[in-house]
Amino acid sequence: MTAFLKRIGIIVLGIFGVSMLVSMGSLWALREGDFYKPSFLVNGVSTSDFDYIVLGASTGLTTLNTKVIDSVLHIEGINLSMDDTSISSQYLMLEHFLASGKHADICVLASSASSYDAISIHISDNDYRFLPYVSRGYISDYYASFSGTAAGVSGLSKWLPMAGVGYYNAELFYPSLISLVAPQHRNRFDSKGNYTYPVGSGASKRILSRHPKTIYFKNTYLAKIKALCDSHDIQLVCYVSPLEQQEAILEQTSYDVINHSTLLKDSRYFYDAIHVNTLGRHVASLQFSEDFRSYVISESFDKLRMTE
Amino acid sequence: MLFNSLTFAVFLPLVFMLYWFVFRHSLKRQNVLVLLASYVFYGWWDWRFLGLILLSTLVDFFVGLQLRKTETPKQRKFYLLLSLCVNLGLLGFFKYYHFFIESWIDAWSLFGIQMHASTLEIILPVGISFYTFQTLSYTIDVYRKQLEATRDFLQFATFVAFFPQLVAGPIERASHLLPQFANARRFDADFAYSGISLIIWGLFKKVVVADNCAFFVNQIFEGYGHLNSAELFLGVLLFGIQIYGDFSGYSDIAIGVGRLFGFSLQTNFAFPYFSRSISEFWRRWHISLSSWFRDYVYIPLGGSRGSLGMHARNICVVFLVSGLWHGANWTFLVWGAVHAFLFLVPLLFKVSQNHGRETQLAGYQFPSMLLTFLMVCLAWVFFRADSVPIAWDMLGKIFSFEGHSLGVFYKNSKSLLFAVITVVGIFVLWLYEFLAVQGNQQEVRLSRYHAIFIGVLIVFMGVYKNPSDFIYFQF
Repeated sequence: MTAFLKRIGIIVLGIFGVSMLVSMGSLWALREGDFYKPSFLVNGVSTSDFDYIVLGASTGLTTLNTKVIDSVLHIEGINLSMDDTSISSQYLMLEHFLASGKHADICVLASSASSYDAISIHISDNDYRFLPYVSRGYISDYYASFSGTAAGVSGLSKWLPMAGVGYYNAELFYPSLISLVAPQHRNRFDSKGNYTYPVGSGASKRILSRHPKTIYFKNTYLAKIKALCDSHDIQLVCYVSPLEQQEAILEQTSYDVINHSTLLKDSRYFYDAIHVNTLGRHVASLQFSEDFRSYVISESFDKLRMTE
Repeated sequence: MLFNSLTFAVFLPLVFMLYWFVFRHSLKRQNVLVLLASYVFYGWWDWRFLGLILLSTLVDFFVGLQLRKTETPKQRKFYLLLSLCVNLGLLGFFKYYHFFIESWIDAWSLFGIQMHASTLEIILPVGISFYTFQTLSYTIDVYRKQLEATRDFLQFATFVAFFPQLVAGPIERASHLLPQFANARRFDADFAYSGISLIIWGLFKKVVVADNCAFFVNQIFEGYGHLNSAELFLGVLLFGIQIYGDFSGYSDIAIGVGRLFGFSLQTNFAFPYFSRSISEFWRRWHISLSSWFRDYVYIPLGGSRGSLGMHARNICVVFLVSGLWHGANWTFLVWGAVHAFLFLVPLLFKVSQNHGRETQLAGYQFPSMLLTFLMVCLAWVFFRADSVPIAWDMLGKIFSFEGHSLGVFYKNSKSLLFAVITVVGIFVLWLYEFLAVQGNQQEVRLSRYHAIFIGVLIVFMGVYKNPSDFIYFQF
């Protein structure tokens, strides 16, 4: 029995040892590169003081083009949205942004309409992108606050990186090889964090009616984002992106909201029911710039008053 | 409980420790532990169905005791029939009720008579086809006086519910496994290590080979209407590899786990895709089921004795029943019929198929090996498709030879990544198996460093986020 246990012990230690080394190397490579947004923010963004940032899911990522907004308003912002994430992930991104020594005057929260009220006990599909920074307390605490296999594995990665890198091997291990060879390679977003869906071949069709969808802003992470913004002197603005089939009805709320759910009246602007295409993004970003101008002016005025 | 789950990763070492460190001096206590562990293993899925295993165990134990006592042919036949009725009755109810009701209604609708039947919500108990056949082998062997009935209920119950092979085989013969519960076990380090080697290899086949193949196979079989010949053809080949990795992987883990507890389970797969004919394929594929049908269906029907027509009939019966065993769907019956046809053609034309399983491969045999692999894969279309018309449609599209782009494998970066992982996984599988075949080995044996290498591949190439269920759990 002793000989057997020794033999098995060597194999188990061998597998663990090699896997741990590879996993640590993998997370290091991702930390050093720009592949995903959390490490792009640290390595690929030299600016530390922004006029605004956009946090959001795929709707924020593909609707608000920060290049357009910057050029119209002569300000500087960055899009930190990630697809397949919820407001909890956006809270984590804001924490990560602040912990990386950055600051912004305004935080635009561009989550999906349903996210403002939804709350999940599981982490979002793309929350693994924060794993390279799992040793930071706010990241491991975030994973620990959720239940489910993915959260468990992610939280365990603080001590056992092979758990997270193995579980998410397609999402972390292989991209880390790309990061190792080309550290500046970004995963489907430009130098300002934007991504766009192509214009499809669908015919132009006037949108005549939309289903009403009431937003109550009940998601508890929204209050957490607000509190974090307040404590860092950041103004929070919620944004509802254009929708093809729904009209967002806003309940009485204390949040500042820009509602563009009915902005686009033609289906040619949409990639699918909740995402705009390149054409829609351009129109939405221009209109957003106009609606956003008052927030920027008020923020500049406040800044000026404080300087005086 | 799944072999590739964290629960099992905790369960197995725990039972192993108790078995060898706490209860090693008492055979009875070891058997009690294995029985309890087996019931926990099965009950983890749905404890309500433990009653079925217990019923099957009680009936066959009772029948065995009665057969032991009586010599009267009439009474012996009665007890055998009792066992057959209970076991096949349960199997028939849980597995074939819907199939027969729906087929009956469909048949009448051909004559314009519309019938309606109230259908029951029946869940198929995991592993029912496997343990039913295992207990039947006991009763039949006792009836034939090829095996003495046991008087020890604990040993018998443990034999029926033995957790490594309870839900997906290998289907053990009572004459092989039951006596092992009566004999004192001594820990053999080399034997146990060979079990660990098989577990690692089985996990590789399941989580690396089968589950990565599944990524494409599911897309291709679900969206076959939009794909071209080349994509469908590759999808079919990948399904052949997926089902092999999935099922033989499970068998390897089962055999490996059995060895950890000092039990020898029979080989279930002997590198079937290196077969050079269909008959050789069936000597290498799901051996425990093929040999079950050979001994309890084919030979009683007359086997190869008698005229060529009788021989052909017996082969057809075996393949059709084997098809139906896999599932209550016409697709499985057609799959069985296709294999019967492929088996019979060389027989009718008196083409020799007598390749020994142990024979090394020679270069000139490569074409026959490839042809056999292709025939088996094309037959799998019926096995995997949702219906027979869909299977024909798919085959029609494949043989239309329209389109050669393999876009489904590189339509986005994720697909391309999975394609590369799948190809590497299949290559590693093929390489290790080829070397084992050339070395006349019955199984892939991993030395310490190879075990570490394969273990690391499992960590970084396995599918964990969206793993596929073991295909044979549905049977």
